[in-house]
Amino acid sequence: MDRRAFLQAMAASLALAGTGCRGRPPHGIISRVEGTAAVEVEWFATVMPSEGYGRGIVVRTNHGHPTKVEGNPDHPESLGATDVFAQAAILSLHDPVRSRTPRHAGNPATWEQFAEAWEIRRTRFRTNSTPILAILAEPTTSPTWLRQIHALLDDFPSARWYQHAPLGSHSHRGHLPEFDLAQAEVILTVESDLLYRHPAALRHGRALAGRRLSEPGKPLPPRFYAIEAVPSVTGAVADFRLPMAPARLSAILPAVDRCLRDPAAAPGLEPAADGFVRDLADAMRRARGRVVVSAGPACNDRIRDWSDRLNLHYGRDVVRWRRDVRSDRNPRCHGGLADLAAAITVGEIDTLVVCGLNPAYAAARDLRYGELHARIPFTVHLGEHWDETAMLSTWHLPEAHFLESWSDLRGAGGIASIQQPVRLPEAESRNAAELLHYLRSGTTAGSETLVRETWRAAGANDEDRWVSWLQRGIVDEPMHGDEFVTPPEDGTAELPPSVGKADGLSALFTPDPNVLDGRWSANAWLQELPKPLTQLAWGNAILLSPALASRLGVQNGDVLRCSTASGELDAPAWTMAGQADNTVALSLGYGRRSAGPLASGLGYDANLARSAESPWHTAVLALRKTGGHALPVCAQGHFQMDGRDLARVLEPAIASPALAPAHRTSLYPPRAGGNPAWGMSIDLSACLGCNACVLACQAENNIPVVGREQVARGREMHWLRIDRYVTGDPAQPRFVAQPVPCMHCENAPCEVVCPVGATVHSSEGLNDMVYNRCIGTRYCSNNCPYKVRRFNFLDYGGDARAAGGANPRVTIRERGVMEKCTYCVQRINAGRIAAEVAGRPLRDGDVRTACQQVCPASAIVFGNLADPASEVSRRAASPTSYALLDELNTRPRTTYRAALRHPPRP
Amino acid sequence: MQPEAQSQVPVPRRSLGQAATTALRVGIAALVMLAGGIAYGVFQYFHSSYWTRVGLAEDQPVLFSHRHHAGQLRIDCRFCHASVESAAFAGMPTVATCLGCHRQVLTDTALLAPVRRSAELGVPLRWTRVTRLPDHVHFHHGVHVSRGVDCGVCHGEVARMALTAKARSLDMRWCVDCHREVAPDAGGREPAPTPTAAAGHLTNCSTCHY
Repeated sequence: MDRRAFLQAMAASLALAGTGCRGRPPHGIISRVEGTAAVEVEWFATVMPSEGYGRGIVVRTNHGHPTKVEGNPDHPESLGATDVFAQAAILSLHDPVRSRTPRHAGNPATWEQFAEAWEIRRTRFRTNSTPILAILAEPTTSPTWLRQIHALLDDFPSARWYQHAPLGSHSHRGHLPEFDLAQAEVILTVESDLLYRHPAALRHGRALAGRRLSEPGKPLPPRFYAIEAVPSVTGAVADFRLPMAPARLSAILPAVDRCLRDPAAAPGLEPAADGFVRDLADAMRRARGRVVVSAGPACNDRIRDWSDRLNLHYGRDVVRWRRDVRSDRNPRCHGGLADLAAAITVGEIDTLVVCGLNPAYAAARDLRYGELHARIPFTVHLGEHWDETAMLSTWHLPEAHFLESWSDLRGAGGIASIQQPVRLPEAESRNAAELLHYLRSGTTAGSETLVRETWRAAGANDEDRWVSWLQRGIVDEPMHGDEFVTPPEDGTAELPPSVGKADGLSALFTPDPNVLDGRWSANAWLQELPKPLTQLAWGNAILLSPALASRLGVQNGDVLRCSTASGELDAPAWTMAGQADNTVALSLGYGRRSAGPLASGLGYDANLARSAESPWHTAVLALRKTGGHALPVCAQGHFQMDGRDLARVLEPAIASPALAPAHRTSLYPPRAGGNPAWGMSIDLSACLGCNACVLACQAENNIPVVGREQVARGREMHWLRIDRYVTGDPAQPRFVAQPVPCMHCENAPCEVVCPVGATVHSSEGLNDMVYNRCIGTRYCSNNCPYKVRRFNFLDYGGDARAAGGANPRVTIRERGVMEKCTYCVQRINAGRIAAEVAGRPLRDGDVRTACQQVCPASAIVFGNLADPASEVSRRAASPTSYALLDELNTRPRTTYRAALRHPPRP
Repeated sequence: MQPEAQSQVPVPRRSLGQAATTALRVGIAALVMLAGGIAYGVFQYFHSSYWTRVGLAEDQPVLFSHRHHAGQLRIDCRFCHASVESAAFAGMPTVATCLGCHRQVLTDTALLAPVRRSAELGVPLRWTRVTRLPDHVHFHHGVHVSRGVDCGVCHGEVARMALTAKARSLDMRWCVDCHREVAPDAGGREPAPTPTAAAGHLTNCSTCHY
């Protein structure tokens, strides 16, 4: 092309570009056909499955889009709080990689084609008893599902029902102990994450926090003891924590028994354990009748018998037993995964239907489940994702999300709730009860019909009653079998003495705190959330104690090869203070092969070294360095403020002097306080460090996900972070979790350095961030001593705009703009507007921030500091209240109350 | 090369000629004027009704007349914009609301064909939005109406508009002028000098931007 032709082309394209301009596109506004005009905000009460148990939630929809999950205050298993998973559920609902279409041998197919394939088999199962149909599902509490499976077992003589609980069970011999932590004086947990991974965890958290929130004249909080190998959320908030390998429990627990019988007896253990056991036995004797002992799912039957016996003898006022409402021990169930594997091996199973589980990935690899699954002639997988099991199945069917379908669930305490959908499903999908109904009858029935049918005897036909169940989120009908039971006391009163060698290296398999057994792998919020205690994100590591790491000469990130009798795996090492010596912790849920673009290939698969025989711990045959190095992504060092007295710990019995120092002088003119003067108080005694507030903030404020690589660069966007402090001896340290939002300083250092006035002070004490003024100098972030400001480097919010779950009341920030905690100013404005429209003043509690609302422990309180009667004023005025980095005289509106932990008895 | 000899030669002082200087000056002046002109043009463009849409009726699927309904028939604004007193969004009438009357009157006029078609097909009626704020502004109708702000303050005399048009530019200065004036705590009708000096919350950035 010569110069002339080039210029001609340029001129022509310029002219053409001009003709294409048509001004701004018009914005539409809709008149709906009928009904009421669009309602801005609606709340729906429903229930969320958590390992088969139900937890009450309410879902907020904005203009019909589900945008936020909150706890249902009327539901006894929620009490208005949620865990991280309920917060993350809203992202899963809008997940674009969720399975949307049935697949036959991996190719997209239709439900009609599945119906054709099934109809032949159905007639055969109905009449013949030889080809065996097996159903594999997680144990559940859903009356509708159980009704369907029972009907199917009745109709199909050849059908068998297998259950598999990948995360274990908290019930023992069919009974679930119910703890009244609000009345307990001594709490002992043995490998039990009572406050984080327990069907009643939210209830426990609220009760314990109620005792720990310091008030003048209140009785002392309970003494909390934890024996565990790997630090858990629960162990980290205990007063006393004994890191102990599971193999050593058989020495420790009999020592507790001995010391309980005879106060003068010597436990005869190593010094740390010796003091712990003496102190524990002493406290238990003093508090006889009000002792709670909880042994977790990883404990063997003997230890759980032992804990039941201690509860019977020492906890009669605070422990009761319920018949477990989950179907683990249902008499019609044919067995577990191992039984199914045995049946497949002998070629008995002709057809297998897997409901919701992913055993091809999540089962111990020595079971070789994947190979067995592929051997069955006809397999059906119902699941939300195209996962490892789906890939091996003849048919994969998309499962309806729990927010898109009807069901019913019961809480750990027995209360039943109806699960109602909050929107129509995006694709044709069915839930497990619908599928079972279809498999049996060959006809489709909507999930609502099935649920109503289940509850007809209780009065579901009465429309008023039905609607009231839905509105409250609980069914106020007593259920059969709700009465408390007494577990038969085990004849063998004594624990047998130590078995097995205690000094060998053992591997512990722990469900990942964020993705559990991999069921939450596809959720970006949970992947990016720094895990409690390790602060790792987007992956897992082999955790080992500092002493073991130094013995092996291992640095963080060195790749280790860990061999057990079942297999071996390579994974990076990570030292964990407070972990029992001679243990390595392998976390489940990673090393996925088919978990969508987010999670496939992240981390290592611990199932490779796991045995089905002993799923929670096994002996390590060899542990050595491979020479490789792969540093996991950890948020611990990001946004550091170390080296100052930041997270303070006090003893509850001592009337401490006020922590808040006298008022300091300042060069800046004093600011008018304003009324309301918004402020926040965070109680470190109550805080569990469960991360629910971090995700609640993320959901409420449209906080983007940045991905693994960007987190490694310290660019995560969480407005609220939880700092973890580990103090004392690394072998037996003390953990403190400290949530850090924006402090909303009255003398805010960020405001004076902004060249464009993008961060300014409001009359009510908020440190406002005006996104449209911000030019991205990042001076404010540099000048912030608390490191709470986040910079959007790469337009991370782009995806949030496309997804449906964004909160329309909060701006989605652009690239190049600084952002940070606003004290949920959209909620402040909504609360104020509601009060003004109603013509009443704003009351304490009208405005609740997202982090405050979700907190199971009521650790966070927000309100008006100018009102001396408000809850936040009362907390901020208490003697244990202090400000972070007070010496800088920033006068933060967010203050903390010191963590109270019992000292050992002298 | 002889450096000494070269240094002895006086370097001629170069300057522009008279004509070139004049041309340069005229050129600079022209550039300044051009820049000023462009700036003025841009300013005028963004204040013109072409950009602000003030006084320009939008194309609508139905030639709806507020003058007829609100002016001549005296139908209350809230009959159609039902959530204006309580919600952020004033609310658009449903097609059923329109047909509530138009099943009795003007039942077969061609003007209303899109409304009838919408009801028959069950497809919502899509109007062109007349009044629109940028995405980073959060406006709440309910609180303004409940505080006694008349619809006409922002929307003009809708009851006299045959075709509905935007009545005010709704730029930030216009909003803030009002917020300063009515802020109950700002000390009478004096505008507050700076946002932070105002005791009332109405001039805080986060009242509208969050």
